[in-house]
Amino acid sequence: MNYFELFGLEPNFFINEAELSSKLRALLNASHPDRFASSGSQQQMIAMQKTTQLNDAFAVLKHPVRRAQYLLELKTGIDATKEVTVKDPMFLMQQLELREQLETIIEQKNVSDLINFSDNIELMADSQRDELAQEFEQVEWNTQSIQTAIYKLQFLYKTLADIEAAEDKLLD
Amino acid sequence: MALLQIAEPGQSTKPHEHKLAAGIDLGTTNSLIATVRSGVAETIANLEGQHLLPSIVHYAKDGTISVGHSAKLFQCSDARNTISSVKRLMGRGLADVKKIKEFSANQLTASGMGMPAVVTDNGIKNPVEVSSEILRTLANRAEQALGGDLTGVVITVPAYFDEAQRQATKDAAELAGLNVLRLLSEPTAAAVAYGLDTGKEGVHAIFDLGGGTFDISILRLEKGVFEVLATGGDSALGGDDFDRAIAGYLVEQTHITADDHQARQMAMLKAREIKEKLTDAEIIDVDFYHWKGQITRQLIEELISPIVDKALLACRRTLRDAGLKTADIQDVVMVGGSTRVPLVRQKVADFFGKPPLADIDPDKVVAIGAAIQANVLAGNKSDNEMLLLDVIPLSLGVETMGGLVEKIIPRNTPIPIARAQEFTTFKDGQTAMAIHVLQGERELVDDCRSLARFELRGIPPMVAGAARIKVTYQVDADGLLQVAAEETTTGVKANIQVKPSYGLTDEQITSMLKSSVESAKQDIQARMLREQQVEAARVIEAIKAALQENGQELLTADEIHAIESAIEQLEIIAQSTDIQAIEQAIKVVDNNTQEFANRRMDASIAKALVGHQVESLDDVVE
Repeated sequence: MNYFELFGLEPNFFINEAELSSKLRALLNASHPDRFASSGSQQQMIAMQKTTQLNDAFAVLKHPVRRAQYLLELKTGIDATKEVTVKDPMFLMQQLELREQLETIIEQKNVSDLINFSDNIELMADSQRDELAQEFEQVEWNTQSIQTAIYKLQFLYKTLADIEAAEDKLLD
Repeated sequence: MALLQIAEPGQSTKPHEHKLAAGIDLGTTNSLIATVRSGVAETIANLEGQHLLPSIVHYAKDGTISVGHSAKLFQCSDARNTISSVKRLMGRGLADVKKIKEFSANQLTASGMGMPAVVTDNGIKNPVEVSSEILRTLANRAEQALGGDLTGVVITVPAYFDEAQRQATKDAAELAGLNVLRLLSEPTAAAVAYGLDTGKEGVHAIFDLGGGTFDISILRLEKGVFEVLATGGDSALGGDDFDRAIAGYLVEQTHITADDHQARQMAMLKAREIKEKLTDAEIIDVDFYHWKGQITRQLIEELISPIVDKALLACRRTLRDAGLKTADIQDVVMVGGSTRVPLVRQKVADFFGKPPLADIDPDKVVAIGAAIQANVLAGNKSDNEMLLLDVIPLSLGVETMGGLVEKIIPRNTPIPIARAQEFTTFKDGQTAMAIHVLQGERELVDDCRSLARFELRGIPPMVAGAARIKVTYQVDADGLLQVAAEETTTGVKANIQVKPSYGLTDEQITSMLKSSVESAKQDIQARMLREQQVEAARVIEAIKAALQENGQELLTADEIHAIESAIEQLEIIAQSTDIQAIEQAIKVVDNNTQEFANRRMDASIAKALVGHQVESLDDVVE
């Protein structure tokens, strides 16, 4: 059973997050180890494995990058977690600029600049996610473009994670 | 008063017999035990009517061990042999706790496994042993009050406790002879107590400031499901720090010398008294060690303000982790005795922009929530089918080249969870690999908590970089970690030697168990037999219920027959006194029911999915 089937969904990049969350709750209600606390250790073990699988599937389906990678591999067998070569000079340039900007902000230890920068990246991630969604909408998938779009989105999320780590340091 | 429950005439209460279960709040300063009686959760008092048990243990030279109020009497007269705030030592290294001032009167030494131990006139006591004394005292109190053995307990831990601290807590329970149904986060327990009381849905913040730990948890409550969105805090921040700040002021005024342990201990006690008095009063007269003066609330607020600010900083970060703003929080619930301090309430109200709730006694709320959860887990039918979904509080990672930490499972990931990571060899022909598991948010190994070191042996010799060693980290619903490893190109499972950095091995626990039981002149064999018989009864009851529920539907006649005869065998063998035979018979039943258990799980998952679809359809119709 693949992760989409586990949640009773068609394999699709578009996902209703609220529906996904509420399905998770319904499923965990049936599988959670707490439901088997007074059963034997074997049933508790099965409950833990099933719940682990549900939590893991949810994490993959919820995260746009991981969902896209999973969907691509499921349908085409392509492992999109591997490095791809992006032949897009504009994007590579922008990538460098953003990293430089982040480093400058971190050096200056300016929290409000960091928050503005973070908001900015979030907007970029939103539009990149839409772009990726459009790639998946195509009747014939262009796997090269999909992989590039995934890579670009991944870069933006990685930057957001770095911003969060920088914020942690500033707050310490 | 709560109404008593009476069974219908003719209906046996046997199959649904009320199981005795309790919730234990094992606190830094005080501990409590609570249970659900006739549908009402309440804390249990001792014979003197006292609910709080001071978390203090005294070891006398003649071997007498006293716990609680009686141990407290020795705090000044025999400070060296009196251990308080032991929770601060749980799952810690000797170097970590050298900084903790409470233990200045006690002599600390290294125990076998990195954990510090206290040298007393009655021998060397490690924190797990000391905690087990407190747990045993509480369990005895409950068993006397309820008139029977406890089938299981839920023990609360600070949400921010790391894996080593949780494991130490579970070990203490095992040593005390208790069956732990679940380790539950203290803020989650508090939310359960409030949630069931008021039936409130939405997002809530639980601000839990105890004697020695601080937790902040953001939870969403929806249709009986308590979902922890994010948790944070500081496992070494609490009301004791307030006392210390005030004691520091007293020491300054009275010029007590640094080596006068008894005077310093007195200063801590006086400080607590001052703090408590100034909860209501604005100004009080103080008479301490030839010093007479007045202390105002304003003065102590200046002393403790930086400590409260530290807690609020953790609140800010946790909100951000949950992706929420203060305006999204419907209610702020206050838990822990230290939230009685007016400055804490005021600062929390300012931060969240709303007055905090403190309707339930902040000392008792955690134990009450734990009791409600224990009642559900023990299998006592409850109208409120609640479910608690918790997260891992601190990221789990592994040491990589250059003393850096690579995160494997990030903080605030829902548990139970498993993640796998692949490693490869560094040298040609390498057959072993050392893996160092860490917990924490920082980049450097030295800044994180060391959990365990693993050695993988028996890797087939290959050229460097060719081996694929898959290491799987499984965190269970108690937040405890297990690691498995496999070389994937050949399928060879590598042997793992687990060495917890700050914990006890299974052998150490068994030997401690033996020595404690021997001293109590009980038979360890009898206890192990009893444990196996209880497990056998649990297995038999669960499978019979399962067969009745959907055995016909999911199994063939042959399969049912095989399971039934395995159970019959187990029922007969369980009457005997042969521990190994019972263990073996349980295994036989397990093997025979593995497939049935899997099918049952799949069926119940499928049913949940269908039920959910029907439910969401109803929403549309409405």
